[in-house]
Amino acid sequence: MATINPEFGKELKKYGAFDYNACYNCGTCTAICSLSTETDSFPREMVRLSTIGNEDDIKASLKPWLCYYCGECSSNCPRQASPGELMMSLRRWLTSVYDWTGLSGLLYKSLPLSILAFLLTAAAVIGFSIRENFDLERIMHVGHYFEMIAIGSVFTVILLPNIIRMWWFVIGKPKIKVPAKSYFKALGELFVHMFTQKRALGCDNNQFRWFEHFILVIGYLTLLFTTVFLDWFSSSNLFIIILGYIESIIVFGVTIDFVSSRIKKSKEVSKHSQPSDWFFVIWLLLMGLTAFIVRLFIDLNILEQNSWMYLFHLIILAQWAVIIVPFGKWTHFLYRSFAMYMAKLKIQS
Amino acid sequence: MKKKIGVYVCHCGGNISDYVDIEKVKDAVKDEANVYLLKNTLFACSDSSQKGMVDDIKTSELDAIVVASCSPKLHVPTFRGVAARAGLNPYNYVQVNIREQSSWAHSDQPTGATEKAILLVKAGIARAAESQALTPIKIPTTNATAVIGAGIGGMRSAIALADMGTEVYLIEKEMSVGGHVANWGNLFTANINGNELAASLHNEIKKRPNIKLFTNAELTEKKGSIGNFDIKVKSGNETLPLHIGAFVVNTGFAPYEPVSGEYHFGEYDNVITLPEFKKLIDTPASELVYKGKTIKKIAYIYCVGSRQDEEGDNKYCSRYCCTAAIHSSIQVKSKFKNITNLHFNRGIRTYGKQELHYEESSKNGDIYLQFSLDSIPQIEKKGNKTIVKVKDILTAGKELETEADLIVLVTGMVPRKNENLTNQLKIPVGRDNFFNEIHMKLRPVETVIDGVFIAGTCQSPKNILETLNSSMAAAAKANSILTKGEMSLEPTLAMVNPAACNLCDNCFEACQFDAIVQTEYEGRKVAKINVSNCKGCGMCTPVCPTDAIDLADFTNAQIESMIDALTE
Repeated sequence: MATINPEFGKELKKYGAFDYNACYNCGTCTAICSLSTETDSFPREMVRLSTIGNEDDIKASLKPWLCYYCGECSSNCPRQASPGELMMSLRRWLTSVYDWTGLSGLLYKSLPLSILAFLLTAAAVIGFSIRENFDLERIMHVGHYFEMIAIGSVFTVILLPNIIRMWWFVIGKPKIKVPAKSYFKALGELFVHMFTQKRALGCDNNQFRWFEHFILVIGYLTLLFTTVFLDWFSSSNLFIIILGYIESIIVFGVTIDFVSSRIKKSKEVSKHSQPSDWFFVIWLLLMGLTAFIVRLFIDLNILEQNSWMYLFHLIILAQWAVIIVPFGKWTHFLYRSFAMYMAKLKIQS
Repeated sequence: MKKKIGVYVCHCGGNISDYVDIEKVKDAVKDEANVYLLKNTLFACSDSSQKGMVDDIKTSELDAIVVASCSPKLHVPTFRGVAARAGLNPYNYVQVNIREQSSWAHSDQPTGATEKAILLVKAGIARAAESQALTPIKIPTTNATAVIGAGIGGMRSAIALADMGTEVYLIEKEMSVGGHVANWGNLFTANINGNELAASLHNEIKKRPNIKLFTNAELTEKKGSIGNFDIKVKSGNETLPLHIGAFVVNTGFAPYEPVSGEYHFGEYDNVITLPEFKKLIDTPASELVYKGKTIKKIAYIYCVGSRQDEEGDNKYCSRYCCTAAIHSSIQVKSKFKNITNLHFNRGIRTYGKQELHYEESSKNGDIYLQFSLDSIPQIEKKGNKTIVKVKDILTAGKELETEADLIVLVTGMVPRKNENLTNQLKIPVGRDNFFNEIHMKLRPVETVIDGVFIAGTCQSPKNILETLNSSMAAAAKANSILTKGEMSLEPTLAMVNPAACNLCDNCFEACQFDAIVQTEYEGRKVAKINVSNCKGCGMCTPVCPTDAIDLADFTNAQIESMIDALTE
């Protein structure tokens, strides 16, 4: 017996959902969705659970992550209830539910708080630079180590506990019995989806968007590897230098297209941007672009005179690493692939 | 007496002649008694064939014609017109159906079809030989109507009739006009108050001198038939005799009263009906309070007293309640703060423009939950809290529960109990116990009682728009019959031969239309037909032990001669 909770709608609307109450349960959204199946049927079911405010069932559901937002459901909804955007909002809400610190929710719901967080991070980087008397070599050295430390600590302190929480809501709490060996057998699913987003190909007419997203992910991950482990900015290996250039061009090239489509609102998926969406694409763009310019300045030998450029890059990098990666939209990279992994576990239970 | 009969056998293109051998038919009937002229036609109904028939009747001075073609439903008026144009009495024409009854029915057996056609044509000739000239009966009519019930429907009927020049007696049982609607607040889709609507119609009534309104009044006596009813109306202590031509019955509905214990109605003090709820929200206040308690969460339970299961009488949908409940839920939300509406329904039926209310309410954040009849919502008290539990179809049958401050039973319409009127007018009721029309699509405001028209919610549950539509339809129908001052009736009626009648009572029992009355004949009591009530159904003729009753155009002589021809 679940209790009807009309207040849930008010909370969910802070995450971007709107007008899903208008739904009259015709099921057109589910019928038209190319990813919905008989066993995993959505989005109507999620619209319904949101309407009656059944938080427990939503927390236990992987369906928001199984949707890759082609937008067909929203453009065909006879009541303009925007089921696609509801699924998007549920992903934001779930992200904040999984996050044990509670910071995700605060940042999603409050733009002023997000801006404050960005300003504080920038101030910290600038403050550190002042303490170091703007010694570029020293700052770049620390910046390089900061990246490594940030990756390690964000993952162990924030992301890993959050994924365990996700497992708890989806599998632990509903007492789904999964044989231990399944956890190993399903690992393939996790990595395939993490690095290819294969499922998104199931969306109709989505090949180009999938391809853009795919090379962006590869570009981003390899750029991360190139800067952190191959030390792109200090490297004199021609191969590494060119590799870094290509990767950073991919990152800002693709994100320019993403930002412009959000500005033009040409597709259903880009019509309703929340601040978290803007931060994500713009910071990704700036990361690629500033990394590219920094390396260019190094190669032109003008970085010494323009050390502000590296400072700017470091500010973007810090904001990305301590705000967007642990508490922002970056997490969908993990939750989407772990959702596919846990879906496989549920099948094998 | 020998008659000159003209017989026309039609090919109907090939519809008949492809299966029925027309020449064989002609050959078989050419020597029948009374056949003076025998022709085949490619299309009997064509202009040239009709002209040929008119010429034949005139030049050969025919006494009767037989057309063997298609169903009488199709062309009886056509060939009656032919007869009339040629100066022959239309009732001296007989239609024989050799298409639907022969060629089409037996297309797989042409020989049998031909044999059957021959017999049918022979029977038609026999019937024509016995046919008699008949004239339609004309009766004078009074251009006055009694409209019963001065709700908004009755008032609208009265205004429409008065404007077309019919005298109207508007008879209302209550002391005031407007019925239920006069007690209602804001009305859906129109955004007008019920009492304003009733008052504006009442004003229009007052402006028209040819409407006489009787309040606190009822019909106490009715005699006569269509065009000429003599009625008595008791208004207060006075009884007035009136002469009218027709009735428009617009007596409305009664709201369904839940039986005690139905959803704990009468047991829990916060379970009320929709009419009670409408009254509650119409009272001016800044906070919604019921019995001293502030109301924030309202649960509406739909289809109470409508769409019942096998055990309930009311199988029908009351049509207005979904919209009325949703409209009220929008009202209550706009009038008071922090209201939550939960609609426990069995499928929302806000048809037409009313759908906009449903959409508005959904977008307001109202929650809709759907149950089926085999698992209705359960209401329980837990301490001083009221809990509603439901198996929600829209959430895959999941069991959900919620607290509610007020439970509103969305009650529908039931037929108003009005035995006096039902006894007086004898309007039949349908399975739903509402008054019954002749045909819901083709004759929607007429009843089998000639001159008695029905409109509004005494016929079936309707919303205001539908009530007014049918009220005006009934007014137009009544006026169209009365406005000419006379009306003609088919002469195919029963006739009593008083000399043969022994007044045995059999025909009184057989007649369903009160068309047989007693009269005096040579000092004896005998039966007589009231022509304005007789439908010509023929139920009285076979039960008469002395063959004193005959039905015009279907006389015993005609039928017997047809049987003889068929069994030859």
